[in-house]
Amino acid sequence: MSNASTTTTTTTTTTTTTATATSSSSPSTWRQAMPVPRPLQQLFDLVPLITYSANTLPARSPSTTPDQLPTLYVFASDEDARFGAPSFNPSCLKWQTYLKLAGVRFHITPSTNHASPSGALPFLLPARSSPTDSPSPIPSSKLQHYALSRGPTPPPQLTSLRLEAYQALLDLPIRNAWLQSLYLEPAHAALLDELYVAPASSSGWIRASLRSQLRRAAEAEILRTSSSPTAAVADVDAVYAAALEAFEALAGLLAESETGWFFGAAQPTLFDASVFAYTHLMLRYLGPAEEEKGSAQAPFVPARLGVVVGCAGGGELEEHRERMLKRVWGDPPVDREGVRRSIE
Amino acid sequence: MPRHPTTAADHSAPPPTASAPVQVVENNLLTPVALSSISLHGAKNTRRSLLDHVFNPLVRESASADTTFGDVLARLSIANQKLARYDIFKEDSIRVFISEAQEQPQPGLHLDRTNLDVSVSVKEKSRLVLSAGTDFGNAEGSAYTNAVIRNILGGAETLSVNASTGTRTRSAYNAVFSTPVNGNPDLRLSLEGLRSSTQKPWASHEEQLTGANLRLAYLAENGDSHALAYSGVWRQLTNLAATASPTVRADAGDSLKSSIAHTFTRDRRDRAGNPMLSQNGWLLRTVSELAGWGPLRGDVAFCKSEVEVSGAVPVLSRAQGGLPSGISVGGGLRMGVLYPLPTGYSLTGPAQPSRINDRFQLGGPTDVRGFKQCGLGPHDGTDAVGGDVYAVGSVNMLLPLPRAGPESPLRIQLFANGGRLVALKNESKAKDGGGGGAVLDSIAVVNGITSAMGGLADGLPSLAAGVGLVYAHPVARFELNFSLPLVQRRGEEARKGLQVGVGINFL
Repeated sequence: MSNASTTTTTTTTTTTTTATATSSSSPSTWRQAMPVPRPLQQLFDLVPLITYSANTLPARSPSTTPDQLPTLYVFASDEDARFGAPSFNPSCLKWQTYLKLAGVRFHITPSTNHASPSGALPFLLPARSSPTDSPSPIPSSKLQHYALSRGPTPPPQLTSLRLEAYQALLDLPIRNAWLQSLYLEPAHAALLDELYVAPASSSGWIRASLRSQLRRAAEAEILRTSSSPTAAVADVDAVYAAALEAFEALAGLLAESETGWFFGAAQPTLFDASVFAYTHLMLRYLGPAEEEKGSAQAPFVPARLGVVVGCAGGGELEEHRERMLKRVWGDPPVDREGVRRSIE
Repeated sequence: MPRHPTTAADHSAPPPTASAPVQVVENNLLTPVALSSISLHGAKNTRRSLLDHVFNPLVRESASADTTFGDVLARLSIANQKLARYDIFKEDSIRVFISEAQEQPQPGLHLDRTNLDVSVSVKEKSRLVLSAGTDFGNAEGSAYTNAVIRNILGGAETLSVNASTGTRTRSAYNAVFSTPVNGNPDLRLSLEGLRSSTQKPWASHEEQLTGANLRLAYLAENGDSHALAYSGVWRQLTNLAATASPTVRADAGDSLKSSIAHTFTRDRRDRAGNPMLSQNGWLLRTVSELAGWGPLRGDVAFCKSEVEVSGAVPVLSRAQGGLPSGISVGGGLRMGVLYPLPTGYSLTGPAQPSRINDRFQLGGPTDVRGFKQCGLGPHDGTDAVGGDVYAVGSVNMLLPLPRAGPESPLRIQLFANGGRLVALKNESKAKDGGGGGAVLDSIAVVNGITSAMGGLADGLPSLAAGVGLVYAHPVARFELNFSLPLVQRRGEEARKGLQVGVGINFL
């Protein structure tokens, strides 16, 4: 994503405000050079004379979860987060699905890239043992290890030699087609706004700025990973053609499996989660336009990636997505009014 | 009738010893006069219309028949002070020459009065000034480069462009265009564009600001100042530390603050001796801000109000016959409330609780000594997350150093200060089990503010006391204090021992 915020570990202690005999930025060397005299230390030990209980936190502070569950920070609407519904961001959905496959129990909270230590979502914040400790966040690169070591039902790990090649299909052509379709197709501008731009701010000025940042980042990303990185403009047709080919290849791979999961695994794996993250979102958000629904003669629009996924391998990928959805989210979750919400 | 036709009057007060010309002026104060001409020399780049604002009243008021030489002198003095306040002429360059009119006045006009030619000479300050240097703000040192273009359009308009980097502000750029309104140097309108990036290590993040403000500042004749400003700022909380608390993480990201603010200052401190060491007089300051409500829109809506009162009383030395002894007793009190409002025009709709960048922070060597920077108030982990209501007070006594005496800028300081910073908590949140971003209905806001106000008086305030050395440099005030915390809340960060403070405004 764009507005990539990188974390800095600069914690500048300013000379204007901090200078003390008891503690400093490098306590060990300072103490050795200037030990606190004994009577002074005794005085320091006397104060404060009264210590009251801690101040309560502001209303916007996330309450410490009473059930001591970790929190996964993802792109999601407030309502989706409350019900633990699937995130609308492929990377977030992949890890959300994988953690659920592993049986890890967690809350999700809507967030932005600015909140992340790596500059990108998702990341997992472990539960706190006390209100004063600040646990280190777990970036997505370490989530597999976390799920395998903490989850009660760790998914099988794949060792296939072909895994890398197929993973590359997801990371390059399919991701590029997703970026192209959602971020750059004018037909999806309203959707992009709804998902990524509007939640950031109500201001038209900020939205316009964020929108153009997102678009520029998506464009740069597609160009960087496309076949001719020197080209100034990506070949849109080639991007969609590559995705179509990739989906057919994945459908072919899935057809080889007897278990219904990729590579013949007995249980869904991280790779299933990765494929599901794209197929689910494409089917849900980038399907046929409203007026084309149910019409058999609808023109084939390559940007409608949901249609591409639905057709791949004669519906093979769409069936996989249904299996995954049922397996991980079970029956449609129930919302506050007790109405069964369709995830679709 | 003036015996010596030419005399010079400076815009500054005459020296106490009456020299010969002063004697002449004094002897003629009641002489009836009329103005024959006024000429201004040296204002090459200044528009006539601006100068008309200064000299037209003088001409108008001096037209009546009972105008005396003293009246003209007084009005000239006012006009000259006005010229000086435009800040386009060199200080002390303004000279006034008054002479008896050389030409015969028009027949039938003011034959009964002495006709005067007034000639004012000024030197314009250079139009472009480039400077670089170091600056001390409150708890921050910085290096800056600055370009000022004065009198751009000839009407005392100023454009100032700044770039700075500091211990805490990583980078800051701003450009301010300012102009007197209707030629009045005491009423200025300015438009500022700014962009900055500031580290907030006490809350594990960096705040980036991009915005603009439009400001109308008025300096009343009695020295009171009013400023009314609209500002629109895009705030981005980013670059979080790895250990950032969930409260800070929940507020990371973008928000637009669109607000109007009014600042009133009545400064009656005696700053003649040393501006950084006022030992006599008082100061009242109020800041009121309305954000997000009604047509203001934006992402945050609240009403914020702060009041500050401080003062000092000198202890006069009996041995020196009531002369200042350099000893004073002083105190200060500061309070603030942030009241969340619903967006739109409703007053009773649901309101969003405050964000970390809108809440108050308290603690540090320039407000509550003996606590770390932002060491008071609610802490999530090690992060100071701020509060919605605060009250803070301090008492101090300044004593001259035995050898240095009252004239020196050095003082010994005895102080005690304390305060409370309380957050508005959402009492209905426990029922919802909701996380961050929960909205408050109007009843919850009222209850929250009431209970936060009550929280101010819940137990003793967090307190620290100590003794230190004050050095009042004309640019900034330096303090080296030894302090001990007496009362604190768990999570609040006190500082035992030595603490250095550098700043302009100390409580």
